[in-house]
Amino acid sequence: MKNRLVLKKIFTYFFAFIVFLIMFFPLYGLILTSIQPENIIRSRNLSFFPTNIIFTHFVEVLKPNHISNIYEGIKNSLIVSSLTAFLCLILGFPASYSLSRLNMPAKNLILGALISVYFLPTILFVIPLFVILVSYQLDDTILSLVVPYTAFTLPFIIWILKTFIDKLPIEVEEAAKIDGCSVFQLLSFIIFPLLRPGLIAAFIFAFILAWVEFLTPLIFTNNLKISTVALGLFRSTIDIKIGQQAAAAIMTLIPVAILMIFFQQYITKVVFSGSNK
Amino acid sequence: MIEHSNLIDKSRLKFSKEKILATSLILPSLILVFVTYLYPAIFTFVISFAEYDIIRLNIKKFVQFKNFHYLINNSFFNSAVLRTVYFGLVICLFTTIFSFLIAILLNEKFVGKALLRVMIVLPWAVPSVVSGVLWGQMFHADTGFLNALLYQSGLISEYKIWLADPLIALHIIAVAEIWKAIPFMTLFFLSGLQSLPSESFEAASVDGANVFQRFFYILFPLMFPIVIPLFLIQFVLAMKSFDTIFVLTRGGPGGGTTTLNYFIYQEAFETFNLGRASAAAYVLLIITLAVVLIPSISKKILNFFWGNK
Repeated sequence: MKNRLVLKKIFTYFFAFIVFLIMFFPLYGLILTSIQPENIIRSRNLSFFPTNIIFTHFVEVLKPNHISNIYEGIKNSLIVSSLTAFLCLILGFPASYSLSRLNMPAKNLILGALISVYFLPTILFVIPLFVILVSYQLDDTILSLVVPYTAFTLPFIIWILKTFIDKLPIEVEEAAKIDGCSVFQLLSFIIFPLLRPGLIAAFIFAFILAWVEFLTPLIFTNNLKISTVALGLFRSTIDIKIGQQAAAAIMTLIPVAILMIFFQQYITKVVFSGSNK
Repeated sequence: MIEHSNLIDKSRLKFSKEKILATSLILPSLILVFVTYLYPAIFTFVISFAEYDIIRLNIKKFVQFKNFHYLINNSFFNSAVLRTVYFGLVICLFTTIFSFLIAILLNEKFVGKALLRVMIVLPWAVPSVVSGVLWGQMFHADTGFLNALLYQSGLISEYKIWLADPLIALHIIAVAEIWKAIPFMTLFFLSGLQSLPSESFEAASVDGANVFQRFFYILFPLMFPIVIPLFLIQFVLAMKSFDTIFVLTRGGPGGGTTTLNYFIYQEAFETFNLGRASAAAYVLLIITLAVVLIPSISKKILNFFWGNK
């Protein structure tokens, strides 16, 4: 029995190590490429440990006239992603409360319809939206990104917030209602503070989903008056300098990776609260 | 009597008041989502039967089923459809298997689990352009790690241009997609595993069932209801994938990595044939719906023949 336990432990650690290697190695390779001089990257005696660490690729990439324009892209993406996340919360919070707690006809149908839009191919909507934007000369604006992003992300956000509200104790709300609390007061003074983990999770999800979006800005900002970080990175792939390309990729990744690492518990909470009913 | 009816009226009034309130809370969201989705869906449907003038932004003329006819008789389109289904199947099959195994691992206790969990969830937040760049560099002909690794260990005598082979390129894109898809499915499997009753495993263990027996006779049947929807969702998402293809191969070489979604993009924004692109988008929609509806239909058929509820 003891032998079997030891064997199991060894097997677990071995498997964990393999999984870690497979999931992490691609990112490690990217980091390695971004901090080594171009001639080492291109040499055939590739080492998997850095021998000569430099940061010039990052300095080059962050210069305002660099082809990827990553500095401008990060600025735009921060604006667009934050706006999208805020809009999603402002619209999604009351909507999810209504779906969770209030008496309304065809509740499940509405939730189902909202979620089912994810099964439809995005390209189906992008073509006509592009035509509308062009005809009102709204393409290449922050608005042309924030509104579609919000619409794309909102069903997911409503679903997240609904599962969190479902878990709140209903007694608190009933007591507040008996004390004569209006719905507005209820939402802002009682539900809002209780729902903080859900709201944080929803904000992070919306922010990340807006940050990684590629197809929408690719088409809607076709004249490149504004550029998002993902687009900027894509443009740098035309450039042949591999080190700078890797540096730009890391600059694109860092903000969302930080969010993901620090708020990981909120992200996992979404999955766990959604399925354990 | 009068008082009684008055009471009913009051409660009914309160009831409808709540309905109005509930509707007004959700209405802004519904309007935004459905205007952004429904209007384009109808628009696409209409122009899939027409020729669309991209410069004047109006419908030139209606051509009935000409766009669909063109697509069905186009061998490039047909192979793109088959490729999309194959691509989707490969991705969701491997994602499901890997995620399931990783979830079982994460369900065990070991040192460094928290770190591993962060590492596993991280690829979800990696923008697909970044993962495109990352895998592009990994498989790069001159500077890629794969070539260096294989060359230095003597497995290949000269550097290979991986992305020049259509079939290899398609599978490289699949690898990139699987890497990005693993985090979420793993989390869902893990939450499923943690909600399973531990008694049945202990009982089986006492009865002398070995690891494989426990896996196939207890764990797998218990997890099956979670596996099926996740598998299907992943299939749909995989068929929709665009970014990685765009960054890594742009549908090439020789159209070897052109999936249906990429085909639609090319028709719409490279050859500017919006009518044809819309028709193809509807074909993709029909395939997607078929995939989503397969389980409920097959369940109905099974129930019809075997009648077990």
